[in-house]
Amino acid sequence: MAKGWWFRFSFLAALVIGALMAVTPTFLNLKDDSSFPVKSKINLGLDLQGGLYMVLGIDFNKVYRDEVTGYARKTIATLKDIGIEATLGTLNTSDAKDPKHSIVIAKESDLEAARAKLKEFYAYPLRLTAEEGTTLTYGLGREFTKEIEDTALSKSIEVIRNRIDEFGVTEPEIVSQGSDRIVVQLPGVKDINRAKDLIGKTAKLEFKFVNDNIAPTALNEWLEKVKKAGIEYKKGERFSDYVRQINDTLRADLPAGNEIAFAKTVNKVTNDITNLEPYLVESTASLTGEELQEAVVRIDQQQNRPYVGLEFKPNGAKIFENITGANIGKRLAIVLDGNVYSAPVVQGRIAGGSAQITLGAGDYNATMTEARDLALVLRAGALPVELVFEEQRVVGPSLGADAIDKAQVAAAIGSLLVLAFMCFYYKLSGLIATVTIVLNVLFTIAILIGVGATLSLPGIAGIALTVGMAVDGNILIYERIREELAIGLTPFEAVRVGFEKAFWAIADANITTALAGICLLNFGTGPVRGFAVTLLIGICTTVYTSYFVSKVLFEMYVGNGERKKLSI
Amino acid sequence: MSTPKKYVDYVGMFKAAAFCSLLLIIGTVVMYFTKGINYGVDFRGGVEVQVKFKEKVALSELRDLMNEKKVALSQLQSIGDESQNEFLLKLETDKGDLNAVSTQVSTVLNEKYGENSYEILKNDIVGPKAGAELRTSAFKALAWAILAIMIYLALRFDYKFAPGAIAALIHDVTIIIGAFILTQKEFSLQIVAALLAIIGYSVNDTVVIYDRVREIEVSHPGLSTAETVNRALNETMSRTIITSMTVLGVSLVMLFLGGSVIHDFFFAMTIGVILGVYSTIFIAIPMTVIYEKLVAKKAA
Repeated sequence: MAKGWWFRFSFLAALVIGALMAVTPTFLNLKDDSSFPVKSKINLGLDLQGGLYMVLGIDFNKVYRDEVTGYARKTIATLKDIGIEATLGTLNTSDAKDPKHSIVIAKESDLEAARAKLKEFYAYPLRLTAEEGTTLTYGLGREFTKEIEDTALSKSIEVIRNRIDEFGVTEPEIVSQGSDRIVVQLPGVKDINRAKDLIGKTAKLEFKFVNDNIAPTALNEWLEKVKKAGIEYKKGERFSDYVRQINDTLRADLPAGNEIAFAKTVNKVTNDITNLEPYLVESTASLTGEELQEAVVRIDQQQNRPYVGLEFKPNGAKIFENITGANIGKRLAIVLDGNVYSAPVVQGRIAGGSAQITLGAGDYNATMTEARDLALVLRAGALPVELVFEEQRVVGPSLGADAIDKAQVAAAIGSLLVLAFMCFYYKLSGLIATVTIVLNVLFTIAILIGVGATLSLPGIAGIALTVGMAVDGNILIYERIREELAIGLTPFEAVRVGFEKAFWAIADANITTALAGICLLNFGTGPVRGFAVTLLIGICTTVYTSYFVSKVLFEMYVGNGERKKLSI
Repeated sequence: MSTPKKYVDYVGMFKAAAFCSLLLIIGTVVMYFTKGINYGVDFRGGVEVQVKFKEKVALSELRDLMNEKKVALSQLQSIGDESQNEFLLKLETDKGDLNAVSTQVSTVLNEKYGENSYEILKNDIVGPKAGAELRTSAFKALAWAILAIMIYLALRFDYKFAPGAIAALIHDVTIIIGAFILTQKEFSLQIVAALLAIIGYSVNDTVVIYDRVREIEVSHPGLSTAETVNRALNETMSRTIITSMTVLGVSLVMLFLGGSVIHDFFFAMTIGVILGVYSTIFIAIPMTVIYEKLVAKKAA
């Protein structure tokens, strides 16, 4: 046997054991709580298991309009601060992608100073597009527009993620596509209208005071009581139902007008809730997101620390002034869609409509992330993003089940035919081919499970193509070996030369296909990408199994050259 | 190197093959403008509802019902065997809200048959904008894939190999689209995935033979290109036949036993496998010779 054979064989054996472990839960349909060390099963695409698929587009035109108007208002307030009187002009939306808003300066003598002030303060968000007498017209700054888009996208995803609990879905998928799309996949959900109602509505932001008169121990005792009553949150259930149940159970214990809300930490990859922190808050909101104009991350120059700056609308500013004045020292919880995000302490009475939320000291980057997340939440409630439903697909569970059943049977028959033919045509060597092809499919599925990719119908097509190419890889080698045997080489030599000569044909064929696969992954959407993923994985396993694995097996078969005849 | 027993002059058949292929391609183009592609909901945008009834419902009965209730039906067909009571409704969606149109179907069905008498197997709503974008992205992906293959072939082998391979790929894709126009089967994203699989398969076939051409060029430097190419084709023929037969076999089994969801996909695959072999042998490889002649003429 060739050098390093035992090493290569052990490597193969380890891979086979690993792959078998990976596919066991899928094929034996193990429950999540079984004692088997591997838990993850294959993710089936919606076309195979049924469910709801949605593509949501963000209506940026409305976002631009709101932003440019907001900034026009703000500039007037800024000018007032330096003693320049100005009034809001008109909004021009003739170009929906680039709306413009004008500002009219009251006195012509102020024009120069106003222009300078605006240039100094608003050079980034606004750009001067026209000037006529005392009327200055502004559009949004180019870079700022890009920032608005990014924020709107991540904000929308955040809001949608918050609401997924409402569907009772265990493996939702929410991802952005390009710069203005969000793809939401909810396996098992059929009620498209309810899903759309929930996802499409704007986020609800509330400010509620925290009741700190109750000791944290009391809060914990209540939650223990709830737990004893058998109320527990399980993944896949509605989170709001859980919170409602808790509050119903504790109705008699809680102080009147108070309720329990949670700050939840969610793993953004798996959507698992990793931590729940309870708060006792007032049931009615002191202020809602409607009164909020803007929330941005700013940097405190003196301490070099990020903070979140808030701007309220005129009416909101008054309310805010009153409630902060009356509740100094209390914590004001920021609640989005019923979940607590942060509860800063009111430091003093805040007049003028601008407030700051300072964050705890610590690592600059961590604070920055925290500030960004908080600003995102605040803006989600302040600036409604309109989501347009561009594409929806509902696949009933029985169509999915039927598709799997029939395709499985057909694939099994097809594979058996190929394997039987290989064994018939290449005899004992065909058996080696059979082993490598089976291993190829096993590895492909194991990797799909390992990387958490989704297997859909086009994905199955990718596997089908892979198997075709794997069979071809074997045939290429075998035909070569036959050729070499025909010109009189010994089996040992024929195998060696056959593998050597077939290598580049196999490699080139797979590399060209891989190149196509990479293009598809980059430029394709949805099903095309699904195809590309399985194809690329399949190419790796094909090169490994049809060349390296079959070589190991052949070397075992021909031994050290003492074999006189090869069954091929 | 053993000399094959039966030596076939594939290069000599190029003219006949090119004639057949041209006819098919021209046929496709003509049909494209006369019959048009039956784009599925993915590309066209619109609403498609697939329902399965528990009790027997006749196609005509359903059609009458939809007409009576003024549902903007553009096409109604039964799926699979009639006894399965499965129907596909395609709805006219030039105007109005796609959601409203989709809900209307279930409202009408509930009124007439009751909520539990049927099951919605599939309900697709694709906005016109999304449809157009899916179409562009799918074809862009196809075009890039072909381009990448061409560049690789040119760099890895020789410039003379690239045009033949690309011509064969475009040839295959065009004629399969022609088959879809002819049968008026629905052209959907799934079919694009099938086209991609076929491209992958066809190029695999071509590359294997190019590899042999190159090998013969090294071992028999004196041979003319036509002789080299013919020899490569003859030597690899047994492999070509066995491989394509196995792939074709699987494709046929999937076509007939795989169920309605993947039927069209494997319809494309089956035609593609046959076309792929044909175009490799009679178009892609011989074109290397033609290309070389053209280059020589230009140089002269």
